[in-house]
Amino acid sequence: MAWLRNLTRGFSALFSPERVEHEMDEELRGFLEASAEAKRRAGMTAEDAARAARVEMGSQNAVKHHIRSAVWETVVENLWQDLRYSVRMLAKSPAFTLVAVLSLALGIGANTAIFSLMDVVLLRSLPVDEPGQLVLFGDGRAGGSTDNLPNQSWRLFSYPFYRSFSQKNEVFSGVTAIKSIEFSTHGSVAGAGREMMRASLVSGTYFSVLGVNAGRGRMLTEADDQTPGSGTVAVASYSWWQRHGNDPAAVGKTVAIEGTDYTIVGVAPKGFFGFVVGESPDFWIPLSMEKEISPGWNGLEKKWFQSLYLVARLKPGVTAAQASANTNLLFKQYIRSEYLGQSPSQKDLADVEHAHIDLTSAARGLSRLRRQFILPLEILTTISGLVLLIACANLASLLLARGAVRSREFAMRMAIGATRSRIVRQLLTESCMIALLGAALGVASAWKASHLLLTMASHSAEVAAMDVSPDLRVLGFTLILTVFTALLFGMAPAIRATRLDLNGSLKQSRTAAAPSSRFSLARGLIVVQIALSLVLLAAASLFLRSLVNLANVDTGFNKQNVLVFQLDEYSANLPLDARLVNLEQRIEQRVQSVPGVQAASFSMFSFDQGEWSDPVTVQGIPQTPENSHDVLYNVVGNGFFSTMSLPIVAGRGFDSRDKIDSPQVAIINQTMAHKFFPDSSPIGHHFGIGSDPAGSGSIEIVGVVKNAKYVTLEESPEAAAYFPYAQRVQYFGNFEVRYAGDAHQIIPAVRDAILQVNPDVPVSAVETLAEQVDASTSNQRIVARLSGFFSVLATFLVCIGIYGLLSYAVARRTSEIGVRMALGARRSNVLWLILREILVLVAIGIAIGVPLALAGNRLAAKLLFGLSPADPVSLCAAIALMFAIATLAGYLPARKASLVEPTVALRCE
Amino acid sequence: MSQKQGEMVQGTLEMLILKTLALEPMHGYGVALRIEQVSAGVFRVNPGSLLPALARMERAGSVKSEWRSTENNRRAKYYMLTAVGRKALTDETAAWGRQTAAIARILEA
Repeated sequence: MAWLRNLTRGFSALFSPERVEHEMDEELRGFLEASAEAKRRAGMTAEDAARAARVEMGSQNAVKHHIRSAVWETVVENLWQDLRYSVRMLAKSPAFTLVAVLSLALGIGANTAIFSLMDVVLLRSLPVDEPGQLVLFGDGRAGGSTDNLPNQSWRLFSYPFYRSFSQKNEVFSGVTAIKSIEFSTHGSVAGAGREMMRASLVSGTYFSVLGVNAGRGRMLTEADDQTPGSGTVAVASYSWWQRHGNDPAAVGKTVAIEGTDYTIVGVAPKGFFGFVVGESPDFWIPLSMEKEISPGWNGLEKKWFQSLYLVARLKPGVTAAQASANTNLLFKQYIRSEYLGQSPSQKDLADVEHAHIDLTSAARGLSRLRRQFILPLEILTTISGLVLLIACANLASLLLARGAVRSREFAMRMAIGATRSRIVRQLLTESCMIALLGAALGVASAWKASHLLLTMASHSAEVAAMDVSPDLRVLGFTLILTVFTALLFGMAPAIRATRLDLNGSLKQSRTAAAPSSRFSLARGLIVVQIALSLVLLAAASLFLRSLVNLANVDTGFNKQNVLVFQLDEYSANLPLDARLVNLEQRIEQRVQSVPGVQAASFSMFSFDQGEWSDPVTVQGIPQTPENSHDVLYNVVGNGFFSTMSLPIVAGRGFDSRDKIDSPQVAIINQTMAHKFFPDSSPIGHHFGIGSDPAGSGSIEIVGVVKNAKYVTLEESPEAAAYFPYAQRVQYFGNFEVRYAGDAHQIIPAVRDAILQVNPDVPVSAVETLAEQVDASTSNQRIVARLSGFFSVLATFLVCIGIYGLLSYAVARRTSEIGVRMALGARRSNVLWLILREILVLVAIGIAIGVPLALAGNRLAAKLLFGLSPADPVSLCAAIALMFAIATLAGYLPARKASLVEPTVALRCE
Repeated sequence: MSQKQGEMVQGTLEMLILKTLALEPMHGYGVALRIEQVSAGVFRVNPGSLLPALARMERAGSVKSEWRSTENNRRAKYYMLTAVGRKALTDETAAWGRQTAAIARILEA
């Protein structure tokens, strides 16, 4: 109970400081009197006794100080005093406070915003039970479906393998299968209007293996995933439920998706977005319904239809090595017995030999964003770290100058008994206060900024919907950063400021100030700032130049004046035959008659939408390593090439001759033509998809089209081939329209036209082809923009630093300048005298900064296009800019010095 | 103004205060005087260390204080031992005895 008494007494003392002070005074007075009394009795005179008693006690204040330091509440009291004092001091110089707080807010805010993005994209665990026990089969770096037998680590698995494996394995308490892509479907709830619904297909074990309990109703179970077509149930996501007004009667309602009715059996708990970071399905639907959701995905009984991610939960006590051994044993047995027939080929045997499953941790879910963003985030983290360092160095030099100005105040306080540590503590309190103010402002802006960053980085609405508001972890990170920052910039100036020669400082003579070490620390800080901002400027100019290069890439097609409509033809409920082709042709014709529309066409891909690639076998041309690379395929309408402005350079385009029952035709691009027919015309030759020579006569080449970019702007020329959709019937999601005039009038007109042809084909989104092209470089753009923004701000901070340092130097040297001018120095001499000082610092800063910039830029090499990281133009631009700005910042105080009137300067001593 | 002879072994001040207060409640100067007299002038305790020690001990609960009038009719803060203090005194005396005996044996060996 001793601590309790200590605590209560301490608090009562804290809240009645006068009483404590009074009692202490009284006790000391009593002590003195008793002491004097004793001395009087020993024979001293009353006067001598009183003096002797006082001498024995020494300074009463010192004794009181010792008594106070015996109890804890004094620490609190001192802190409180320091805080009040700091507030007064900061309020007294608002300009300094403003600059300091704003530059820290910038540094801390930038770091917080980028850390919270990092946290969401790279670090945060799934909100599930014991995420550490979850493992993913393979590394998740694939999506879609494959019928290959990969001779490496497998990433996608078939439904029959999932079934067989989950029965036989001994190391996992459960296994679940997740379709590797999310389906954008359309449906309606309880007969209401049609809306876009993102569906994730999962096995019945999904929720139980992840350990996610129902928010409302129930989650999916094994019973929902038994026979194909039997599981007409759906679990809604929390955000979908929220968008529908938190409908208490949602569970039990019917949702019609693509012509099938599902019963909503439950709502997932708040915060659970699914397994893939950045995707947020509206519904989880049993895998048994995959054919109903999308007819192309009919693979429940096909062991070659490998399209699933497998996620499993380790049994308690099972090590990763045991799990991997057991998994691979079962896997090899399975592929030997199921995939290889009686007499497997040598190649298949060799492939199986190298096939294996890598188990990777799934604690953080599967994040494709991780791969996409890890490099930009690393670069941005470095940049924002540098900005914070510059802000710290800047603040440290401001504090140094302030310390010099306040040296008389410190000397006075130390002379009347303050200890040095007490003053240092008070100065650090001031620094902490600046840092905390900066942090508060920084976090407030980071809240908005990280969302903005995400929106800039991704044009998909679902990614932008991710929750990036700073959570406790982020706030903890910021707090640590803040304290670290305060110590970093506050410590050295505080120690410097209190290292005083008391007499000299109290006399305060401007002439007495020798070029002190304080001053050289300030110079050092300026050099650091110059070097670091040179690194930022060099990086920024590199990214900007790279972006310009990307913008100048020839895409092949003309990206201007093309609208890309996203639609869902599957909703029209037509079979994959001539009826669907007829619908597509009617839509194209109807839209082409809209005023302002020049051409319109369906296509499988426009730009940067994924790829369908396979090797090709050309009749009469032997396969070589050079020509057996994959070719990119696209399925398009007859008007595709005119819509994209891709000229046919030989042969013909697709037209009404190409029908479902006419011979199959294709148009190839120049790269493919050159690869297989370097010296002759490819028109009339035949090829087949795949490496089997038997099919090489199936498709006739009828034309050659200009090269284009297909997946990225950075890609080297790719071989590509186009097929007419009349011969490859399919449901399309892309519809391109080339127009003249105002897009805002064209868009509703095209929507109306599609609606008139068939009201069951919903159009979900429209963007321009130019936007699609721009979106493919969003990473580069965001890095270029932010590094540009940060480097300009950092340079501005450096200017403030240089200006402050020189102004201080000029003030200190006023009388010296006066003497020089009285002795005949000209104004230009004085100007040069001051300016020379800063030019030396700039030169040193640049000399340090250049190798740093070269080393740092190597980190960015992967993000650069058409430039080497050591690009001399960017570096020279950065150096020139730095030099110009630093000279400008130094010129103002130097000019002020040159205008000093010698008589005035000398008289003021 | 104590000289070299007044250097006290670290941590013994509180034990001496406890022992002094064990006889009767006393004010601060009384404690200082008693320690000086009993030690025949070897230990002189100045108020800069005595009063903080008393404050510390009061917080720890081994002494308590109250304001009383002195023999000269002045108000003074009197300190007295608590049960905790009495126990602390017994323990520390015993420990001190063991330590000095041990040190003596080492020095005589």
